[in-house]
Amino acid sequence: MNRRNFLKQSGCAAMGATTLLSTLTSLGAVNGAIGHKKFASKDAPVADDYKALVCVLLAGGIDSYNVLIPRGVSTSEGGDNGYAEYAATRSDLAIAQASLLELNNPQCTSFRDFSCNYGAFALHPTMTGMRDLFNSGKLAFMANVGTLVEPIMNETDFKSGLKRIPEGIYSHSDQIMQWQTSVPQSRNALGVGGRIADLLNAGNANSQISMNISLSGKNTFQTGENIGEYSISNNVAPNAVGIDIIPSWWNNSGLLTDLRNNGIDSLVGQTYANLLQQTYSGTTKSAVASYATFREALKRVPSMATQFPTTSLGNDMAAIAKVMSVRNNLGVKRQIFFVTYGGWDMHDNLAGGMNQRLPVVSNALKAFYDATEELGIADKVTTFTISDFARTITSNGLGSDHAWGGNSMIMGGSVKGGKIYGAFPSMNLTNNAQNISFRGNFIPAVSTDEMYAEMALWYGVSPADLCYVLPNIGNFYSYSANNYPIGFMNFAGTNISTDDKPQSCLTY
Amino acid sequence: MSFPLYVNQGLFRICQGIIFVLLIGFLGLTLTANAQQKVTFGKGNTTNVTVTSSSNASSQTGVKTLTSGGYLPNKNAAARLLSQATLGTTYSDIENVATQGIEKWVDQQLAMPNSFKITPYLQNLHQSILDSIRRVDPDRTLANTFLSDWHFDISWFQGNMTAPDVLRWRVALALSEIFVVSRVSAFENNPYATASYYDVLLENSFANYRTLIDKITYHPSMAVYLTYVNNKPADFNNNKQTYPDENYARELMQLFSIGLFQLNLDGSEKKDANGKSIPTYDNEDIANLAKVFTGLGWGDSKYLGERSKDYWSYTKRLKFYPIDSSDAYIRTWTTRHRIINGHEAGVKTFLGKTIPARSVEQGELDIKDGLDIIFNHPNVAPFISRRLIQRLVTSNPSPAYIQRVATVFNNNGSGVRGDLKAVIRAILLDAEARDCCNNGNTEFAGALKEPFIRYTNLVKGLNLTSSTGIYRNSMRRAYDRMGQLPLFSPSVFNFFSPDYMPDGPLKGTGKFGPEFQTLNAQSLTGYFNALNTWLISDTPVDYNGFFGNETYKPEQAPKFDLTADYPLTRNDRLTQLLDKYNLILAHGRLSEKSLNIIKEALQKMPLTITNGVMNTDDAFRRTRIAIYLIMASPDYIINK
Repeated sequence: MNRRNFLKQSGCAAMGATTLLSTLTSLGAVNGAIGHKKFASKDAPVADDYKALVCVLLAGGIDSYNVLIPRGVSTSEGGDNGYAEYAATRSDLAIAQASLLELNNPQCTSFRDFSCNYGAFALHPTMTGMRDLFNSGKLAFMANVGTLVEPIMNETDFKSGLKRIPEGIYSHSDQIMQWQTSVPQSRNALGVGGRIADLLNAGNANSQISMNISLSGKNTFQTGENIGEYSISNNVAPNAVGIDIIPSWWNNSGLLTDLRNNGIDSLVGQTYANLLQQTYSGTTKSAVASYATFREALKRVPSMATQFPTTSLGNDMAAIAKVMSVRNNLGVKRQIFFVTYGGWDMHDNLAGGMNQRLPVVSNALKAFYDATEELGIADKVTTFTISDFARTITSNGLGSDHAWGGNSMIMGGSVKGGKIYGAFPSMNLTNNAQNISFRGNFIPAVSTDEMYAEMALWYGVSPADLCYVLPNIGNFYSYSANNYPIGFMNFAGTNISTDDKPQSCLTY
Repeated sequence: MSFPLYVNQGLFRICQGIIFVLLIGFLGLTLTANAQQKVTFGKGNTTNVTVTSSSNASSQTGVKTLTSGGYLPNKNAAARLLSQATLGTTYSDIENVATQGIEKWVDQQLAMPNSFKITPYLQNLHQSILDSIRRVDPDRTLANTFLSDWHFDISWFQGNMTAPDVLRWRVALALSEIFVVSRVSAFENNPYATASYYDVLLENSFANYRTLIDKITYHPSMAVYLTYVNNKPADFNNNKQTYPDENYARELMQLFSIGLFQLNLDGSEKKDANGKSIPTYDNEDIANLAKVFTGLGWGDSKYLGERSKDYWSYTKRLKFYPIDSSDAYIRTWTTRHRIINGHEAGVKTFLGKTIPARSVEQGELDIKDGLDIIFNHPNVAPFISRRLIQRLVTSNPSPAYIQRVATVFNNNGSGVRGDLKAVIRAILLDAEARDCCNNGNTEFAGALKEPFIRYTNLVKGLNLTSSTGIYRNSMRRAYDRMGQLPLFSPSVFNFFSPDYMPDGPLKGTGKFGPEFQTLNAQSLTGYFNALNTWLISDTPVDYNGFFGNETYKPEQAPKFDLTADYPLTRNDRLTQLLDKYNLILAHGRLSEKSLNIIKEALQKMPLTITNGVMNTDDAFRRTRIAIYLIMASPDYIINK
């Protein structure tokens, strides 16, 4: 679908709606060719127009069918037989039924022509924090979501040769990238967060610090055409930011620090014909330009009551909360954070590995949600997990191998939580049209496009610009008023943006 | 006319008898020949050297002085080779290459035996720690004298500082980033696991690729890292449903040999009728190859499925167990045991080839056949060649360069396939590697220096020497600040991908910059601040104590001694100081402008001279800041 069709379909309703952004005066383009109106300042009628997306990448391919687990009793006992089917297929990987954490009335939905196969669900025994958030309506699950170019309904479709299949399916490097690009037919695509920032970065008053902040260095998700990530460590003490000064026991420490720093500036400030040198120089220049602003803002971090676990992910999430706490000092209204927590490639020691890592995720994300409540921005922050892929339902004796569609978590005050979206597949592999391997690999019911589109609309991407953020979205969804891609975000009070950018759809 | 002057295996062969009266023994020069036509060709670094001939080319009289024997690299060209072929270079290394010539040096290096074995060094270190502890605790043994992963780094660093076979050390590091095993794994606290694996890489750096993948496949560290140790056949007993682990089958093909898509000899991807890349394998191939790697257990085990015994289990070649008799060892209370196959029986088909059904006792032949099938796949040559070129020379080799090296991979000239010695030689002596200017295509030349290699450049270049010959350095700062140490990759995909395309000016050019994946606002300050510690705070090594109450041994924690440079810190001699380190660290690559920027900064630094005696603090500081700024400059950071 091209941009024009999109505009047509968006129709009068969307175009006619009075949005906050459309009432503001455009302050003009700041960044490159993409013009954008500034987001509301804090003096504007709506006090704190802030929104953030937090992408938590569980690198390595999490066995998410041991995160969200059917727990239903047998049909003879009036249940859906979910646990028995799960246990039979997962064999030695199955988790004991008694230890599972029950989810209250999860209202598992169907999606497209996929039905949800069970009614009763539970979480891995170590995920009490996530259970609590789910049951209090702040956390939702997206069942069987994965990389797709276009809908694939069954094994026949998959093998027909007529449907486009993700490139390098089952390969870590490809699938982890495609989850970040949402363009599974290309190895050259930009990241979803990067493309969103391409459109909206100029709306932040301060362009010195990128809209996209990474706790995990370079990543595809935050890489756009014009916007890259600003990488920070989870030590956000002001003096931990930037280039160290020359020690005071050197005489003239201040002068020498200046001489050295000016030296660096001049060296990277020269013109280089070689593009690798240009890339290094450019990175250095923009990093140096960001340090001072960032350091100053961090001096304003308030003390917080929320206690974060001292795990690597806990420290990272704590740092994100601290950066969010100084959003006004940074002069930003929209932020996209990225953090990786790896170690999920559990071909071996799956049971022990999950017992070790899942509580780290659950506790860190729970603390982070609590911190956003404390900061009064819980409904302005949406956090979600992604991974390379799910894993085979069957065992290799000690663990599981690479598969495809899996389960993601979406957390935040604006999430219509306490529900399982998407469509949870049947754990019984015989005569299962969604299963494409004797090992148990599911065709995703929901595309990453649909999941991202819902969050992008909430974040402030206009319907007409969705095709820039998600080049394949037209294969799955087209916008009309009150018709959302999946329906897991609460759009009440959030106006769909009509602030279209002069940006054409991307095609791959 | 164009000069038919070209590089053949590092020597200049001069066709058609071009005659020169003037010989300048520099590589990379501008020739003004008979017809007063100027031709610039590069081999090394030196531009603007003019050679004039006295007679025209057709004349066979005159003095033919531009011959291969007399043709030696200048120091910049020598240093440039060393920047690709070593982890760091001293001034005397550069002189050495400059006097004997590039080809001769490379051949000498390729002929040197593996001089330093990490595992025995680690074992001796372990023993000496035990000996010390025994003075107060006589009952201690090696097995309960616990080590950490950094004992490997200390042992590695000792080898790096002392081994004369420096090319082997450079290549082994490259191999460690292709055939990745990492301590971020089940053996995170066993330095024997990393030491033993690294020794395999050192030992086989110049061996045959087929031998290398055999040694790797049978190495316990790889088997634990990619989870095929004790891998068993499919099992449906007792309502069980388990299948062979697919991990190694997949990564062996994707990362260590053939890659995801079919390649031409020049490394480009083959395309189908619709212009799409053609996958090399599918999931069925993976499932079949997974069956091949069943039945491998620990070398010191009694049965398939037993756990590792101790540190040293990781130093013993894996053993093949055709039969899984674990039940007899585990359920000792009964005599009714389930003795089953340890290796998957039956035919295995993958990559269009079939491994025949044979008895499980002969199952090890399946592994041999499996590795042979992979070894003989046409992708291996371009796949491995490109990776090695990227690690040693340039991020973006031309297809022709890849093809030349891949051709040598396929046949070393004596009919041998997979001869890594010949491949390394071909990579380093190729015209494109030796050409300073990448055929005039300077836009994409070179590679970002890996963070860790910047550190080894520093310690070698500044001639870190220990009076005792012992270097106790865990190098932990290099990891904490820059995220890289040998065998410390976050995953089997290495610290960076060979196909990483950085954003910024390279975007959209289709060019790669693998090492840029490590470069961001955070790692950049990490690097600058590590330089601060190494140079300005004068702490070039990370000294770790071996046991509680150990006396600090300063003689094992060397510092840089740059006092010989102090006279060069005077304003009128700064040029010499900068030239020296420009040569050693950047093979003379820093431009005049860059050098001037640094010189101006240095001149503004105080330098007190009292009664003709220079203040050593001031001289120290000027030297350190000079080197800091050289190593921060784009001319150094991009090695081209």
